Parts: sequence; structure tokens; C-alpha cells
Amino acid sequence: MIFLIQQTLLYAVPLMIVALAGCFAERSGIINLALEGIMIFGAFIGVLFIRTMQTNETYLAAKAAGDWMTLQGLELLAMLAAAVMGAIFSLLLSFASINLRADQTIGGTALNLLAPALVLFFIRIIANQNTLQMATGDSASWFMLKKSTFGVDKSVEWGFFKELLLNKAYLATYVCILLFIILSIILYKTRFGLRLRSCGENPQAADSLGINVYKMRYAGTTISGALAGMGGFVYALTTANCSSNGDVAGFGFLALAVMIFGNWKPLNIAFASLLFGLFKCIASAYTSLDINGDGIYALAQLGISSHLYRMLPYIITLLVLAFTSKRSRAPKAEGIPYEKGQR
Amino acid sequence: MENTPEYVIEMLHITKEFPGIRANDDITLQLRRGEIHALLGENGAGKSTLMSVLFGMYQPEEGEIRKNGKKVKINDPNDATALGIGMVHQHFKLVDVFTVLDNIILGAETTKLGFVQRKEARRKVEELSERYGLKVDLDAMVEDISVGMQQRVEILKMLYRDNEILIFDEPTAVLTPQEIDELMSTMREFAKEGKSILFISHKLNEIMAVADRCTVLRKGKYVGTVNTADTNKQELSNMMVGRPVQLEVKKKPAEPGEVIMSVENLRVPSKIHKGDAVKGVSFDVRAGEIVCIAGIDGNGQTELIHGITGLEKLSGGSITLCGKNITHSNIHNKSAAGMSHIPEDRHKHGLVLDFSLEQNLVLQRYREKRFQRYGFIKKDAVREYAEKLIEQFDVRSGQGAVTTARSMSGGNQQKAIIAREIDRDKPLMVAVQPTRGLDVGAIEYIHSQIVAQRDSGKAVLLVSLELDEVMSLSDRILVMYEGEIVGQLDPKKTNIQELGLYMSGSKRDSEEGKQ
Amino acid sequence: MKENRLRTLYEKDGTKKVLASLLSILIGLIVGSIIVAIVGFSKPGMGGKSVWDGIRLIFAGLFSTGRDASGILTWGFNPTSFGNMLFRATPLVMTGLSVAVAFKTGLFNIGAPGQYLMGTMVTLMLALGIPSDAVHPVIIWFIAFFGGMLAGALWGAIPGLVKAYLNINEVLACIMTNWIAANIVTWMFDISNFKNVTEGTKTGYIYKTTFNDVATSKLGLDHLFPGSQVNGGIIVAIIIAIIVFIIMNKTTLGYELKACGSNRHCARYAGIKDKRNIVLSMAISGALAAAGGSLYYLSGNTEFYWSTYQALPAEGFNGIAVALLATNNPIAVIFTAIFMSMLDIAGLQLTNLTAYNEYITDVVIAAIVYLSAFSLVIRMLLDGRKKRKASADVSTPGEDKKADDEPAEPEPEPPEPDDNEKGGEQT
Repeated sequence: MIFLIQQTLLYAVPLMIVALAGCFAERSGIINLALEGIMIFGAFIGVLFIRTMQTNETYLAAKAAGDWMTLQGLELLAMLAAAVMGAIFSLLLSFASINLRADQTIGGTALNLLAPALVLFFIRIIANQNTLQMATGDSASWFMLKKSTFGVDKSVEWGFFKELLLNKAYLATYVCILLFIILSIILYKTRFGLRLRSCGENPQAADSLGINVYKMRYAGTTISGALAGMGGFVYALTTANCSSNGDVAGFGFLALAVMIFGNWKPLNIAFASLLFGLFKCIASAYTSLDINGDGIYALAQLGISSHLYRMLPYIITLLVLAFTSKRSRAPKAEGIPYEKGQR
Repeated sequence: MENTPEYVIEMLHITKEFPGIRANDDITLQLRRGEIHALLGENGAGKSTLMSVLFGMYQPEEGEIRKNGKKVKINDPNDATALGIGMVHQHFKLVDVFTVLDNIILGAETTKLGFVQRKEARRKVEELSERYGLKVDLDAMVEDISVGMQQRVEILKMLYRDNEILIFDEPTAVLTPQEIDELMSTMREFAKEGKSILFISHKLNEIMAVADRCTVLRKGKYVGTVNTADTNKQELSNMMVGRPVQLEVKKKPAEPGEVIMSVENLRVPSKIHKGDAVKGVSFDVRAGEIVCIAGIDGNGQTELIHGITGLEKLSGGSITLCGKNITHSNIHNKSAAGMSHIPEDRHKHGLVLDFSLEQNLVLQRYREKRFQRYGFIKKDAVREYAEKLIEQFDVRSGQGAVTTARSMSGGNQQKAIIAREIDRDKPLMVAVQPTRGLDVGAIEYIHSQIVAQRDSGKAVLLVSLELDEVMSLSDRILVMYEGEIVGQLDPKKTNIQELGLYMSGSKRDSEEGKQ
Repeated sequence: MKENRLRTLYEKDGTKKVLASLLSILIGLIVGSIIVAIVGFSKPGMGGKSVWDGIRLIFAGLFSTGRDASGILTWGFNPTSFGNMLFRATPLVMTGLSVAVAFKTGLFNIGAPGQYLMGTMVTLMLALGIPSDAVHPVIIWFIAFFGGMLAGALWGAIPGLVKAYLNINEVLACIMTNWIAANIVTWMFDISNFKNVTEGTKTGYIYKTTFNDVATSKLGLDHLFPGSQVNGGIIVAIIIAIIVFIIMNKTTLGYELKACGSNRHCARYAGIKDKRNIVLSMAISGALAAAGGSLYYLSGNTEFYWSTYQALPAEGFNGIAVALLATNNPIAVIFTAIFMSMLDIAGLQLTNLTAYNEYITDVVIAAIVYLSAFSLVIRMLLDGRKKRKASADVSTPGEDKKADDEPAEPEPEPPEPDDNEKGGEQT
């Protein structure tokens, strides 16, 4: 059970943060189809950052000494690096769609093509293979919170919640959840949030009230880029053993679907991503899922082909979109380039 | 301009050019403190450009703006707000999914650490709303409130910002005559308090009723400023158009013939809410008469027409056209049964803007034998036909038949649609707001075409929001209110005031309403 | 006189489209070169010579004939490269057409990879599954080809259906169907007996169609380009492109599809069945993309790697670039597809001959797509300031959400003083 919840969270949290990324862009009026590409880019940057820093003596010493504070710091720094580069990468989209009034769908697709190409090009040159991994060790041994991290012996039994939250978990997960809450509050309770949302609904109105639509849209897309970049790295860290291979298997698009399913509202997005996280988790780990802890791998024994499990998230996404399309309500002005002075 | 400057805002010799066009050519507008000043001009006369200049959306090539006699530079709407200028736009600038309160404070929020302080704002708005009798529901979503209330929200937005120069851009287009009266008394009250009001309109009655002075623009040029007390409607209209204008539509009395279309208890579902937008409407349209559906925008007229033409599915009732039951026919068959349709929105429904003019002119006919063989379009036949229509209806465009529809002016786009629909030669013509946004020349032309259709024995079903058009063009008026026909009026025996009472739902024919 | 003619040529819309595309290509190649330069100069052991080699290969990899004994790049007509270029262009022509047809009808078919895969799967199953001792291989070829197209049409119709009847964004629906297709293909081949087990070195591949004696005729092209994989597939693709051109521009079907694409509401108003046309257009797109896969693998000299569930075929996505660069003109698609496959060849040469790798060509392609997103702006720049006005005019009132379907000109009061003057001055 604990394993199931933890696994679900591992998938749900990056999904949630990236869906929020999409939300920030679309609420400001820009369709960010490039989430997938930005995630790929962010994952690459984060992994590259860690790989580079691993050779630094401070961190090697910290690892040797089991100084987990320093290592968690490294993890946070890598998240920051991924976020910053994700934001910078997203500027390509902002520039095209805000300043040049480009077709946002095509612009986003261009970024989705560019990210894996660029990333694979560099990975090949850096690592001489198609995957970039950590220089030494793996993400579990470096970054995972375990009982030993807190100086507790493995055999010690913790309570359910302590076990759930602190054993075999990543700090990144909690940072993302915290960020998610803070940003949701910003979106709804602050002046910035109010203005941002007005730009996605009626930019003409916002402009007539002296709100700089271009700035707001840049802000929305940049926040979106930062979150997606970070989400990409967190995804790589927690589910791909901190490696980057120019692919996140459509995860960015799943996040978009989650956003639509969540009707562009953070709370709904959180629930939707938990649901999707569960499916993703079943799809990837059904063979080792032991729900009741009784040693019976129920799902694996059903005899359903693994292929079916793998395509389940996509099929469910399509179905969910089909059933929610009627009541979903996108920001009115999303996707429409705004031109100042237009009435 | 002595010690206390006479004018609160002056726009002197403003010239604004767009490539190829002088939208404003040496225009001067001077607004006195505490006056109601009308700005009169046709569609495309340059009123909007001038206001955009005042709001800093455009920078003029020449001329200057003065506030209280001092030259000011306005770079964006924020500067205008800082100078105390506020505006109610013709198309409201409201965010549909925000509450009324959020809309009022947007852009002028009081904050603490970045967090919006709504309590304080609420108190101020409530006070203002009480003082001026502008009733609004602060917690309702804008999309759920009536157009009249939306306008009050816009006015409150200006008051909340303590503006003292208030601009109303075509504010009466969406209101009933009674609501217009209310608005005018509110405007007078503002003026009494010393606020200055600029009232943009092309409706002469209203200008004569409320304004102290009136500045007239024509084709981007300044024509003159007159005291309304010293002038009359005909003179103003001559100034606006540049020639004497026929204020009335010339037409013979109607000679209604047989029933062409009969609508029975029609119901059409709403797009916004769960119920019906058209709730059981019945009427006939006869050959040789113009029947006009009047009403305030959003009372089911659009849905009614969409139901009749097939753009929307019906939830009940029946339609008979030329003796044929077309209730459940699709759009193509309905139109083939004898209906032409000049749609409400020429860009959305009327034209494929990226197609050429000739392609647009055969929009419903490309499948006819004369235009295709074995599925291949006969280009020459299409060209020949298009050129005939272009000449016959005087549709002007850059490159004739191959011009992209998008690059044509609004008036000529509308002419092209009218040419196409008239030439289809169907017994019933449905025309929805056929003159919206056009200048007087084009309006006159379209009115005469509609009357000519009637005189040739066609039945015409007209939907219009312009009361003047309703009164002058129609032979019979049906008033729609909240999805029902609440009254049937004879334009010769009624007046705008009575029409207004029907439109606002305060009066209804008992027998019609129950039908 | 001559200058005048040049001028009219320059003024033509088509010319501008071509110029804009060429400009996009040039900028794309330069972007690739810059990245090569950055990497080359910053990485020890690569240096200026390698950068120069890399850039030359990006631009002219097609004409590379390798390195001579002293390690200097040699140039010349390389028939193998040329033939392979045409061979690899075949699927790109088809996916490019697929995306272009959808674009013309207002849809963004990013589902080409999935349709391509479904087409490939059905074609291979038919080509390998129908016993060639019972049925003549040529007939099998046709059954396999059309079977693949049918599969693609059905697969493409799915996003069309959900778009038309449930109003789901076709981009998302296409992406989901892509991944579903990728999994289905893996699944089906996994349980099939077409896996190549005879050649032990090649795990994960399906038999070539020649295993069942089915292959596209070479039509003599192999003599023209000896040593290459070229075959009659490219001719078939070109013929299909011409047919698509005729359908889109000369027939009532094309008229309807385009009307629905540029203004769905107006098409409905005119009595055209808009929903049917959306589904139809996606089905046609799907069939075209699938035909790309069919032609590629029916060549008989290429093996299909069946474990596709982790990555989608690049041919599908590159169709987007092909279509955009061709401004959705079916005839132009032929040329842009060949250009794209030339980039592919250049990428291979780059991998073979230098320390760089083929992914740089993907970067170039992505840059070209990026530029295509605002090709209108580029075309406007080419126009100079004249069109500025048009851009000022083409603005939406913004009231109507659906305005995105038709960026119309402003409603009542644009800065246009006179009705009659206006029509004349625009191109």
C-alpha cells in the first residue's frame, strides 16, 4: 500500500507541477504546447548539472560522509538550474507568440522538435551514447530519503505516515507540492494573479485598464517554462534514475490533458494528476504491485498483456477528454495573439 | 483660456495616419467642465481613432492634447487614467468569468503584500453604487448579468477610479428606450456635479436630447462644433454625411399575399443555460411584406434565426416553408426549399474570408450543374457568374472576382453577401442586422434592395436592433422578449416609446404571449 | 523592361512564399552551423578544422564522397546518396501531404506518426501474411498498399471524429492516438510470427517484405543511382501528390474541405456538412501518412524495428516541417520533402565523417518549423512596409471566442475613412 501511494506520488507530482505550468501559460493567454519539449530540456539540464557537480570534491566528500543535507542541497540546486533553463528555453515560445504573433501551436511543436534534437546532439557529444547518466552512483543512493539518512536503522519500524512520507521518498516531491500550493494562492489571491488571468480571458479589457498584456503573458509563459523545466528534471530524478535520453514519453502532453481535465483550476488539477499518476504507476509497476501486502501480485496475475497497461494512460486520457469536453472551459483568449491598440 | 481654463480637455489639430489612410485629419475637440459634449460621425468617420489617441493607444503624428490648458503627453491608458479620463467602451471591456467586483477593481487594486484587499474595495463600490443609483450585484459573474447591468459596471469602473472626464462610446445601442432615459439622467447628474462628459453617438435624437454641444466628424475630417440649442436634426445629419440625407425609407404600402413561411410553437435550446432560448414562438411571413423581429440583443433573436435556418437544432415546434414541412430538414435542404439568408455576422457565417470573391459568390451553388462537371469545378462559369453579380450589385474590390474577401471593406463584403443571396431568388429572404456597422451610403443602398425584394413579391424576415430601422423599414413588427414574442405592432400605429415598453418586457399582448 | 518583369515576379504571392521558405531554410542551416561551431570550439580536440568540415557537411552533405587518404573531405556526385535521398524522401512526401491536407482544412495533424505506424503495420502484415505461392506478389503489393492506407484512414478518423462531434482539440487527440498506435504496433508484432528470427544478429526486426517476394518495382531507378535503395515508391508518391493537388484545387470536394478549414461556421451556413468534412479530411490525412509507411517498407530493402512503443517515427513529425515549408502546397511538398531527406543524408555523412552526429539535422528541422510559425511575419518583412497596413487591419474584435477561426478585420470602426477608396489599394 505504501509502495503504491509512493509510486503514484512519484508520477503524480511532476504531472501536477507541469500541468500547473500549462495552467499559468494558458491563463495568461498563451497555449504552451511545448511543455513536453521544455520537460525534456529541463531534465537534460538537471542531469547535466548533477553530473558536473558530482565531480566536485565537496559533493564527493559529502557523499562519502553521508552528509545528506549537502546532497539535498545539490538536488535543490539542480532543480533550480532546470527551472532557470526551462524558463529561458520557453522564451523562444514567448517571443514567437507574443512579439511576432506566431501560431502558438506550431511554435510549441517547433520547441517539441527542437528540445530532443538539441538534447540528443549534446548527449551524444558528451557521453558518446544516447543516454546521459549520473557520473557515479544512482539517484536512489545519492538523493533518496531513507531511514539511514536520518540515522535510523533499517529494521526499525516507523509509523504508517512516517514510513509513507520519509522512507524512500524524495525531497523534490515535497518541494513541488509546496510550490504548487504557493503558486495556486498567487494565481487566485494576489494582484498579479488577477491581472494574469484577465489577460487570458479578455486582453482588450486588461489593456484598457492599463495592464501590460505583453508583460503578463511573458510572465505567465516564463513561469510555465520554469515549472515545466523543473518538472522535467524531477520526473527524470524520481522515475528515470536521474538520466536523460531526450524523451519523456508524452508526459508533457499528459500534463496538458490533466490541465484540461482539471478545467484550468489548480485544485482540480491536483486531483486529476493523482488519478493519472495512479494509472501511470499501474502501467509501469503492475508486475511488482502488491496492493494488500500479502505477497500476491494481483495485477500481474490477471494475465493482461503488458502492452495494454502501457497504453492505458493514453487511452484513458482520450476517454477523459471525450467525457469532459462538454463542460470544460478554456480561457477565452488563449491562442489568440494580442495586438496592442486593437479594439 | 484665462485664469481658470475654460476647457478641461482639449485635443488640438490631431492628425493620425495609417499607411494609406488619414484616419484623423486636423481634428480639434474641446471639452468644457461640466458639459455633455457629443461627438457625432458615421461608422469610419474617425471617432474611435480619436478616442484611441486620447487613451494613448495611438500616438498622433501632429497635434497636442491639453488638460486644463496644460500640454500633456499620453502614452498609454495608465496616463489617461492618471489624468482622470475614463471610458465606457461600445463593446464592454469586461472579463466574463470574473465577478462584478473583480472587474471594477481590476487594474486599480488595493493590495497588501501583493494580496488583493477586496473588503475595502467592496465598501467603496457599494457607496458609489448607492449614491448614483447604479444597482449591481457585486458577487455575480459578469457573464450571468444583463447587458444593462454590465453597462452600470462599466460606469462604476470609471467612478471607482475617481475619473472626472467620462467618455461614453455608443452607450445606447444595447439599451431599451426606457433604459436610455435612465442613462441620460445619470449623465446629467454627473454633469451637474462638475464631471465632463463626452458622448459618442450617431443617433441624432439622443444627441439633441442630452448634449449641450456637438462636434461633427466626417471621413476623418473636422466638420464643426455647434450648440445643440441652435441646430436641428436635419442640419446635424447633413453635417455628418455631407449631403442631404433621406431620414425615412421610401416605400409603398405593403401588399401582403399568401403565407410563405409559417412557424409554429418553435423552441430552440440555449447555448448558455440549460433551458430554451426560444420558448414557443409562432408567426407567419407573407409574400410581399417585411416582417421585423425587434428586441434587445440576447432575447432569443439569434437563436430563432439559427433555428429557422437550421444552424441550430430545434427542441420543438414546426416550420413550414412554401407549403413544405422543413422542421427537420438540414441546412442545405431548408435553404433549397426556398430561403435565402443574410447572416448576422458576416465574418463568422457570411464569408470565407480567405476565399476569393468569386468563390464566395458560389458558396451555396458550386454543386449546381452549371458550375461543376464530375466534381470538377468549372472555373470559367464561376468567373462569368461572379463578374455578372459584381457588376449588377456594384461590389467594389481591388482585383475584381479574384480579390480575397478579407481585403474588401465591410460595406462591399456585405454587398457581396446581399448580391449572392438576392440572386439565389428564393421566396423568403431572412436578413439579420443587414446594415450593422455600415455607413449611411451603404445603409441606404441595402434598405432600397430589401424594399425592392419585397415589392417583387418576396417575403422578408428582418431582425434588427436599430429601432429607427425597425420603425422605418418594416411592415409588421414582432417584439421578442426573453425568448417569446410579446407583441405584434404596426409601425404606422405605434411609436418608439411603446416599442420600448414591449422590448423591456413591461408590456405584452395578452393573446400573443399566451399562444 | 526586364526589371519590370522581375518586379512583377517579386510582387507575386507565390514568389514571396518561396522566398520566405528559402529564408527559413537558410536561417535553419545557419542555426545548425552555429551550434556546430560552439561545440567544436569549446570541446578540446575538435577545433576549427572540424567545425569547418561540419558546416560544409551540413550545407552540402549530399555531395560528400567521403574522405581521402589524407583525411580531407572529398566532394562530387554521389549516386548512392542521391538515390537514398529519393528513397528517404518517399515517406516524407506522404507525411508532408498528410499534414498539408489537414492544414488546408484547418486541422493540425500531429498524428501523422501514429497513422504512419498503423499503415506500416497493416501493410507488413498483409505483405508477409498472404502466401505468395497462392497470390501473385504484385497483387499482394496492391492489397498491402491499400490495406495500409485504409488502416491509416481509420486511425486518422479517430481524432477527426472526436474533434467534430466532441470538440476535442485535435492536437491532443492526435498525440494520444500516436502513443496508442505505437503500443498497438508493438503488441501486434510481439504476438505475430513475422519477427525476424532467421538472422540472429538482428533482434527486434520484422522480416523484409522480400521474404515473401513482395517488393516495389525499381523502375530502372537503381541503374540511375547504383548502390542506393531507391525504387518506384518515389514515383508513386509524386503521382499521389499531383492527385492531391488536383483534388484540393480543382474539385468540389477540395472546395468543401477548404471552406470548412478556413471558416467552419460559414461552411455550415452554406449547407456544407462541416462535421463530415472534418472526419473526411482527417481520414484522407491518415491514409496519406499511412501510405508513406507502406511505400517505405514495401521497398523490400528496409527492415522494420517493431518495438516502437518508446519512440515515434521521425518521418511523421518531419512531415510537419515538410508541409509548413511547402506552405501546404502539394506540389511544393515534393521538393521540400526531398530537401528534408537531403538534410537526413547530410546528417548521416556528419555522423560517419566527423565527431558530430545526425541530431544536428533535427535541430535544423526544428528551427525551420519554428520560423514557419511566423512565416507570415517573414513574408511581411519581405514585403517591406507596404503590408503593414494589412496587418493593422487584420485584427479581431476579440468579443467572440471563435474569432480564432477567422482573424477577421475589425468590426464597425476601423480607421478606414471611406468605403469606396479602400478596396482599391490592397493587393
